[in-house]
Amino acid sequence: MFCKAGKSGGFAACSGLLLSIFGALVPLNVSAQQSTGVPTPHADVLSIGGSVTEIVVALGEQHRLKARDTTSSYPPEITALPDVGYIRALSPEGVLSVGPSLILSEEGAGPMEALDVIRAADVDFVEVPNALDAEGILRKIDVIGAALDVPDKASDLKDEVGQALASAIGDAERPEAEKKRVLFVLSTEGGKINASGTGTEADAIIRMAGGVNAVTEYDGYKQITDEAVGLAAPDVILMMKRGGNHGADDDSLFEMPAIRLTPAAQTRSVVRMDALLLLGFGPRTAEAVRDLNAAIYGEGA
Amino acid sequence: MAVITDSFIPPRDRVARARALHGLLAAALLVACALSLQIGATDVRLTTLLAKLAQGQDLSQMERVVLFDIRLPRLAMGALVGAALAVSGAVMQGLFRNPLADPGIVGVGAGAGLGAILAIVLGGLLPLSLAGLVGPYLVPIAAFLGGWGGTLLLYKVATRHGRTSVATMLLAGIALAALAGALSGVMVYIADDNQLRDLTFWGLGSLAGASWAKVLAAGPLVMLALAASLTLGRGLNGLALGEATAAHIGIDVQRMKSIAILTVAGATGAAVAVAGGIGFIGIVVPHLLRLASGPDHRTLLPNAALLGATLLILADVIARVVIAPAELPIGIVTAVLGAPVFLWILLKRRGMVDL
Amino acid sequence: MSLIAEDIRVFYGRREALRGVSLRAEPGEFTAIVGPNGSGKSTLLGALTASLPYAGRVTLNGREIDGLQPWELSSERAVLPQASRLAFPFTVLEVVRLGVQAGTAGDRPEVPMQALARVGLAHYAERTFQELSGGEAQRVMLARVLAQVWSPIEDGRPRWLLLDEPVSSLDIAHQLQVMEIARDFARAGGGVIAVMHDLNLTAMFADRVAVLAEGQRLAFGTPREVFSDGILSRAYGCDLRVSAPPPVGTPYILPHAATA
Repeated sequence: MFCKAGKSGGFAACSGLLLSIFGALVPLNVSAQQSTGVPTPHADVLSIGGSVTEIVVALGEQHRLKARDTTSSYPPEITALPDVGYIRALSPEGVLSVGPSLILSEEGAGPMEALDVIRAADVDFVEVPNALDAEGILRKIDVIGAALDVPDKASDLKDEVGQALASAIGDAERPEAEKKRVLFVLSTEGGKINASGTGTEADAIIRMAGGVNAVTEYDGYKQITDEAVGLAAPDVILMMKRGGNHGADDDSLFEMPAIRLTPAAQTRSVVRMDALLLLGFGPRTAEAVRDLNAAIYGEGA
Repeated sequence: MAVITDSFIPPRDRVARARALHGLLAAALLVACALSLQIGATDVRLTTLLAKLAQGQDLSQMERVVLFDIRLPRLAMGALVGAALAVSGAVMQGLFRNPLADPGIVGVGAGAGLGAILAIVLGGLLPLSLAGLVGPYLVPIAAFLGGWGGTLLLYKVATRHGRTSVATMLLAGIALAALAGALSGVMVYIADDNQLRDLTFWGLGSLAGASWAKVLAAGPLVMLALAASLTLGRGLNGLALGEATAAHIGIDVQRMKSIAILTVAGATGAAVAVAGGIGFIGIVVPHLLRLASGPDHRTLLPNAALLGATLLILADVIARVVIAPAELPIGIVTAVLGAPVFLWILLKRRGMVDL
Repeated sequence: MSLIAEDIRVFYGRREALRGVSLRAEPGEFTAIVGPNGSGKSTLLGALTASLPYAGRVTLNGREIDGLQPWELSSERAVLPQASRLAFPFTVLEVVRLGVQAGTAGDRPEVPMQALARVGLAHYAERTFQELSGGEAQRVMLARVLAQVWSPIEDGRPRWLLLDEPVSSLDIAHQLQVMEIARDFARAGGGVIAVMHDLNLTAMFADRVAVLAEGQRLAFGTPREVFSDGILSRAYGCDLRVSAPPPVGTPYILPHAATA
C-alpha cells in the first residue's frame, strides 16, 4: 500500500462531496418523476427537417412553430425561429429550452439518449417517415396533419399536392429513348467527384423529372472514379446551388478530367438547383419536378 | 508493495504549492459543477431549485428533467471524462518520458475510433436480436472494445521476454494507427450520408448523449483507473531517470508499465466510448500543472484529475450555451481553447527545456 | 557480506561480451574495473546490478540477486549510471530525493541536503536539473546515489556503491573530490565498485583492480600487483610504462609514444 493520505485528501474530499451531491439528488429525482404531467394541446411545435417544416407551413400552422433545425430554411421567414442544430446531434436541453410540447421530426433524429430525455419531459415526439415518391410525400402530410390535429387541412393539402405532383410527373414523362442521362454530383471536393447512385433523393427526383440516373452501379452517394464518370456518359450534370465547393463554377467543372469527355461537357449542360427544393420531398416537389424537367430538356420541352 | 514514506525537507515551495493547488483545484471543480448546473439553454437554475427545495415547493416536470436527466448526468460524465483524459495524458507522458505523449500512443485512440466507425457504419448489419440488445450503446461498446483491443495488441507486440519496450510500442502504435486509418477509410467509403455525419460528430466528441446508464457504465472503470494511477506517482518519477535507473532505485518497472498501460486503456477507453474524441485535455492539463507546481507525479496525477474534470465541465458549459438552443461538439471547444494554450506553453518553454 | 560474481557470461546477440568473468569485492574496499573500450567493463557492471540478462551467479551480501525484488536490491546498493538524462524539469533536490525514497534513509529528512553538501552542490538545491552543466549533473546524480545508501553500514550489513565511470565528465578538482567521496564510503565500511578509465586515479584510490580485456579478466589484485608494464600493455594493446615515483610509491602510468 502507498501512504497517500496527505496528498490525496483534497481529491478524496472533493470526489466524496461530488458523490454525496449525486447521492442526494438521484433518489430525489426518482421520487420526483412519479408525479407526471397532464396531456398537452401541442400549441408549441419544434419542427426538425426541411420538408417537415415546409409541410407545417403549407398546412397554415406556422404560428404553432416555436423552433426549427438547421435544415429548415424555407420559407425564408422561418429562419427567424431559434435553430436547435443538426438533426442527428440534438442537444436535449437546447430542445427543451424552446419549450415544445410536440416535436415533429424526420427519420434519424438523435442521439438516442437525448430523445429519451426529451420524452421524459412530457414532450410528444412524432417521427415523419422519409419519402422518395409522391405517395411518400402524401404520407408525410398525413402524419403531420394528424400530429397537429388538423386532418381537414391535411386532406386539402394532400389533394392539392397530389394533383400537382401527378400532373408534373405526367408532363415530365417521355419515351425511354428520348430520356437524358443525368449525373447528380454531390460535391467536387479536392477534384474528387462524389455522385449519387440509386436509392437516393437525387435518384428519385431525376426519375420523376423524366431523366435517367447516369449511375446505377451503387447505392447512395459515393466518390466515383474518373473513368466511371466517362462510362456513365451523362448528358446533364445536376448539382446543388449552395456555397462552398458545391458551387464550383462551370469552367472549372467542365475542365475536370472526369467530366471533360462527357456529353454534358460538350454541350456545357449543368443544372444547379436549391438543395431543399430539389431533395426535400415536401410540398414543393412538384415545382422541383417541373423546374428540373425544364432545365434538363429546355424550357420549351 | 513497499511502504514508502514521504517525509523530507520542503524544497523551495513546490510541494507546498502543489498541495495548495490541490485545494484550489478541488474548489474550482465544485464551482464548475455549480456553474454547470446553473447555466444552460433553458432558464432552469440551480439557485431557484435550491430556493424551491428550501421552501418545500415541488419542482416542475421541466425542472426535474433538465436538472436530473440532462445536466447532472452530463456533469458527472464531463467530470469522469475530463479526469480520465487528463490523468491518462499525464501517465502516458511519464511512461514515454515525453511531454508530448498522449493516450493515442498506446493504440487506444486508433482502436476506439475504428470500433466506433465500424459500429456506426456496420451496426445496421447486426442480427436484429443483438441490435435490440445493445441498441444505442453499440457505438460506445464497440469503441471501448476497440480501444482495449488496440492497446492489448500493441502491448503484446512490444513485450518480449517479459519486458515491454516503450519505443517498440510507439512505433507499433504508428503502424496500428495507419492500419486503423485505412480500415476507417474503407468504412467511410461504404458509409451513407447520415453515417458520415455521425462519424464526423463522433470524432469531435460530445457530452450531449450523456445518460445515467453511461455514467454508471463508465464511472466504475474510470474511478478504478484513477485509483490505480495514484499508485504510479513514485514509479513515474523514477522513470524520469530512465528505465535502468528506475529499477536501481527499487521500482518494479515492468509491473508499473503494465499498470500504467492498463490504466490508460481503461480510463481513455471508457472516456472515448461515452464521449467520442476529445482532444487537448490530455496534453494541456499536465503541462499547465507542471508549470504551476513541478513534475512530481505524486501530486501531478491527482491534480490532473481535478483540473481535467474542471476544464471539461467548463468546456461543456461553453459548448451548450454559446449557440443555444443548438450546441457545439465539445471537441471543438477544447481544441479552440487548448491549441492556443499549448502553443503558448511551447513558446514559453522554447529553448529552456528540451522536449 | 561481499559482492561476488561467478563465471559471468553475457551475450549481445551472438557476440559474447563477457566470457566467464569472476570477481569478488569486499566491503571496506574500493574495487576498480579497468580495461580498454569494449572490454566488457560496463557490461560486467550491468550484470552486477541485474540490469541485463546474464549467465552465472551474482551474490550480494550473501543473497543471490537474481531472486531479489527491485526494492530489496535498492536498499542494499545504489547505482550511478554513465550518463543521465532527465525527462521532466525536476529540481536538483527533487532528483536527490528520488534516491532517498529508494533507500533506507527515507525517514531522515536531512539526508538529501547532506548528500548535496557532500558533493558541494547544496546551493544548487532549487535549480532545475536541466540547467546544470554535464559535470554538475554528474555530481547531483552521485548525491542521489549517496542518499540512497547514506549509511555505509546499516544493521550490520554493508551498503554498496556501483559507479559507472563516475569521473568521466569532471574537471581535475572534482575528479579528486568524487574519488575521495567513494574512498571515504569504503573506509566507513561500505563497498565500492567503479568502472574507471583513468588509470592514475585508479592507482591512487583503488584498493583492488580488475583488468578486463576482450570480455575476460586479465588480472585482479592491488594496483601495485596489477599495474605492470606487461599486463597493461597487453590489456590496452599499446606501449605503457609504469613507474612508482617516491615518496608514496603509487604506480604512475605513462603512455610511451611510438616515435618514428
